Formats: sequence, structure tokens, C-alpha cells
Amino acid sequence: MRKRIVSAALALLLLTQAGCLRDSRPVEGTTFAMDTVMTLTLYGGWDRERTKEGRDWMMGRLVYFDQLLSAASETSDVARINRSNGQPVEVCELTARLLDQALALCELTGGALDITACPAVKAWGFTTGEHRIPSGEELAALAEKIDSSAVRLEGNMVTLPEGMEIDLGAVAKGYAGDQSRETAQSYGITSALIDLGQSTIVAVGGKPDGSPWRIGVVDPAQPEDYFAVVELEDMAMGTSGGYQRYFEADGVTYWHILDPETAAPARSGLSSVTVVAPSALTCDSLSTALFVMGLEEAAQFWREHPALEFEAIFVTEEGEIYRTAGLEGRFSLAEGYRDREVTVLE
Amino acid sequence: MRTKLILALVLLAAALSAAALLLRDGGTQAPVARITWDGVLVEEIPLDGIQEPRSFTLEDASGSNRVEVEAGRIRIAQADCPDQICVKQGWISDGTVPIVCLPHKLMIEIVGGGGDLDGAAG
Repeated sequence: MRKRIVSAALALLLLTQAGCLRDSRPVEGTTFAMDTVMTLTLYGGWDRERTKEGRDWMMGRLVYFDQLLSAASETSDVARINRSNGQPVEVCELTARLLDQALALCELTGGALDITACPAVKAWGFTTGEHRIPSGEELAALAEKIDSSAVRLEGNMVTLPEGMEIDLGAVAKGYAGDQSRETAQSYGITSALIDLGQSTIVAVGGKPDGSPWRIGVVDPAQPEDYFAVVELEDMAMGTSGGYQRYFEADGVTYWHILDPETAAPARSGLSSVTVVAPSALTCDSLSTALFVMGLEEAAQFWREHPALEFEAIFVTEEGEIYRTAGLEGRFSLAEGYRDREVTVLE
Repeated sequence: MRTKLILALVLLAAALSAAALLLRDGGTQAPVARITWDGVLVEEIPLDGIQEPRSFTLEDASGSNRVEVEAGRIRIAQADCPDQICVKQGWISDGTVPIVCLPHKLMIEIVGGGGDLDGAAG
């Protein structure tokens, strides 16, 4: 009997010791890619080395996506498409798959998202930082050339009409986020926060203690503050806002989110859009598209596309807050904003 | 008698390791600012122990950033980067969002110190 008690106690000791051996610290990683800093916070199983391998593989992939998809890098698939002069170009399988999904999203959003707006973004100087205001005529000519339906994709062959350029900036991070989540899961990582430069965040599972990840949403009027908190569990999140990249001239703010219709900054009355969905690609692309649409059209788009499984938070230029009904229980106002009114879209 | 003693010792050891396990995650650590250059650790500054505000300049081939530290917070006060995003961000005092100077691949993040949020979108 006593021996049994002793062995039971020994077993207990072994168990708690084993618990001690399991390192509760996250495996972390930081990499600079896609014009931003990306941070990975990963909690794996018992095998910490395997989690580290997963981290290294993810970081390598993120840099690879950047090399493949960056319009700025001369050797990227995107740059090769852009200097093809109307001739078909063979791209990597991965690029072709992303392009396929991106073109489908451009069509689905009725052109509010358009990957061929690149020449207009350049004309405003957002790629170089040498900002200028193009004339009305110049903008009309630029808008004429924005049309993602003119991009042909057959297998891995891409044909882009002469004079047009593509930029996958509005979709690449989302795609990278979804790929990173798959990698994390294949390495047995059950809890992770994949932050691809704040505009795209992917939560794998919840926190190690089982509670959801708590993510602040930046107040577009005061980007150093958070007006709301969203709880994420096995979900992605993406935000587009005029405050992220802009310049001012003669008291007017010109931001980097352009309306493909006019080739000018989208003034739809919104100052930020946050999308929460299982797919990071959906979050990344729709946050931009809904920003361009404006509140009314965006709300209608949400009602008409339940298959995309997304929810959204809108902030208008006047500072009014709107959110879709499906965020019930996952959305709360942050400290200092508790007295603000939130209109729920049904 | 001897068995009882062994049992007591074993139980004590189990209790201690269990306590250690619980305490390790439960206690809030003091906030530390961690400065990295292209992912390589440059300096760690415990923010609680600062009596006098101080500043220092980090410089390499890509450019320079002047960092200011006070009790509980840190900022980049000056930089020669083109976008000035790191300077505009101002002081940080928790781990929600790090300060990043993208052109110089410099990052200042605060670890420890708790904080309500795990990240930020925007």
C-alpha cells in the first residue's frame, strides 16, 4: 500500500517536472518583407525544436513571397509581367494561383478592388515618396487604363495589355498570411499570432491559455490609440485606412487608397475599414474594396455575400463607428472610447 | 517511517515544482525595451529602473536614429529616414505595437510588463 502511495507520488512528481520541461515561452521571429515588418509569435507542442523549424520555414517563405510578388523587385514575377509589352509571360505556379484568386476578387467586388491601378499609384508618387497631384486629364487617362478584366491568365501564362501594370500589394500579404497559417498547422503549432505588418493579422487557435487573442483596432483619427478590441480565434483580420500612407498639400489629405474609377484617392466617407474572416486573403482584399465602396455599398456587399464569411468594422470620416451583426461577442470598445455609439448593421 | 519521510520529500518536491510552474507564467515581469537591427539584438533596457531620462544615437550605414528613454517608456526622437514614421509614432510604453524604422530595419519592442492587448490592426 505504502509503496503504491510512494509510486503515485513519484508519478505526480514526474508529471509536474515534465510540465516544467515544456517551455511556455513562445518561439518568435521577425522579418522585413513586403515593405513592412512581420512578426511571428508561435506556441508549439512539446517539441520546441520543431516549432523553431516551422518558424524558420515560415520566415523563408515570407521573404520568398516578397521576391516573387513585389512590383519593386526587378526579378519578381510581377515585374516580369509588367515589362512584358503585351506578350505572354510564364509565371510560377504560386503567382498564378494568387493572380487567379485576386482577379476573381476584383470581379466579385465590381472593380472596387483592381490590381491594375499600379500606374495611378505611381503617378501620385506613393511608390517613391515623391508625391505630386496629377492633373484631371492625366487622371482620366490613368483611369482608362485600370481594368483587371483585361488580364488574361491561362494555366501559368499571363498576358497583360501593353501600357498596363499590376500590383498585388492589396492581396499579397493576405495570401502570405493564409500560407503561413497552413505552415504553422503542419508543424503542429496550435497557437500563434502571425502579424504581417498590422494591416494583416492571422490568429492560429487562441492563446496558449485557451482565451482568444485580443487585437486593438487603430483609431484613424488618432493612430496612436485603439478605439476597439476584436477577439480572434482561428481567424484573420485586415485593416485599410487613409492614415496608413498619405501626404498633405494645401491643407488637403491625399491617401494611398485609390478609387479605380477615378484614379484619385477614394473619398467614400470612410476613414478605415477592418475585415474579420477565416481567410486572410479575404480580409486583405476586402478591407481595401469596402473602403472604396463606402458604407452603404459595403454594407450591401456584406449582406449579399454570406459565402465569404466576413464581418466588418467601419469608421467614417466624421468618426462614427459601424459594425456588422456577426461580430457580436467578439467586438468591444476600448478604454477611453466606451461612451462612443456603435451602429450595428443587420 | 522511512517510507513516510520519502513520501513527504517527494510530495514537497512535487508541490515546489508545481508552484514554480504556476508562478513562472503568473507573475508580471518588468517591462524591457528590446532594440534590434535587422533582427539582431542590439540592446535591452529595463524601463522600470530608469531614474534620469537619457538618449543615445544608433548609427549604421543605412542611417541614424536617436532614441530617448524615460521611466516606463521609449521613443525615437530623431531619425534621418525619409518617411519619419518611427519619429511620428512617439512614445511606446507597452508591447502592443513596436516602433519600427523600416528604412533602417530598426525595431524597438517592449517585452514583459503585461498589457491588455496581444496585437493591433490598422
